[in-house]
Amino acid sequence: MVVYSFYIFDRHAECIYKRRWLPRPTSIVGKSRSNTVTDAPPTGLGQTVRSTDDDSKLVFGTVFSLRNMVRKLGGEEDNFVSFTTSQYKLHYYETPTNTKFVMLTDLKSPSMRIALQQIYINLFVEYVVKNPLSPTEHPGGVGVNNELFEESLEQFVQTRVLS
Amino acid sequence: MPSNPRGVFSLIIINKAGGLIYQREFQSGLRNLSTNDYLVLAGTFHGVHAITRSITPKIPIAQPAPSTTSTGTAAPAASGYSYPNPGVPVSGLDYLETDKFRLTCFQTLTGTKFLLFTDPLTGGVDAIIQRIYELYADYVMKNPFYQIEMPVRCEAFDRHLGAWLRGRT
Repeated sequence: MVVYSFYIFDRHAECIYKRRWLPRPTSIVGKSRSNTVTDAPPTGLGQTVRSTDDDSKLVFGTVFSLRNMVRKLGGEEDNFVSFTTSQYKLHYYETPTNTKFVMLTDLKSPSMRIALQQIYINLFVEYVVKNPLSPTEHPGGVGVNNELFEESLEQFVQTRVLS
Repeated sequence: MPSNPRGVFSLIIINKAGGLIYQREFQSGLRNLSTNDYLVLAGTFHGVHAITRSITPKIPIAQPAPSTTSTGTAAPAASGYSYPNPGVPVSGLDYLETDKFRLTCFQTLTGTKFLLFTDPLTGGVDAIIQRIYELYADYVMKNPFYQIEMPVRCEAFDRHLGAWLRGRT
């Protein structure tokens, strides 16, 4: 499976972490691992019209609307898990404190709900929440973008992708 | 034939402008909403559907290869990126899964959307929605008194839809 991108939104609807993994183009058969582009918008890759920043806002809007729709139809305890289009699959996990974890993968991926939960429990709580230097709120991603969290997230996704 | 034909909760038809034109509940399982809420839901879904299509990940093509054999998709080769599933047209939300239900969306070529709410375990949803589309074509579109894009009030459609879904159980 392929992971395209990963977002964390806090309870103030702000994107506090985003990361994109650009899979290597299918036309090239190389031994290079998937190259990571963290934040800078790729230049000249057709992303000039809409930056990655706007992308995260669109993702939040989608996820927020669908979550509310699902709650309305299925009751308060119903949870929106994932949705699929012809091109990708979006997985969603929300903690009781309204922190939202979103991951975009390819269609072949199994349910990533447990994986997102593990990212929250094993990575986010351990390296961000328990970090004494990290603030309680993360405006602009302060505290989330620490090395330990990013490294372990990278590793976590790598092992998932390879399995 | 799916093994478990039960579990079709409701059907919603949204016209190409995002207006609700048909809503019917077949069996309880979801909470009942007011007519106004259904209208809001249809409009919201229409917007979300468009956004889900636009956030499709774009995979950059490393070398500007003119030899890419993309016949179906127009955009990729020219602007330096391709979609994850080249050859398949980019669609908006197709399936939505939650703990309690599964939403299948089928969009016709003219932009009308059929939303089918089923039990998460119901199989053969695509066949069901295809059949509903056939019934819609037969009893709504061929009805000379039906005004296009307006709410569907066709007795024959209601009757056949109900009978067919009931006949499956």
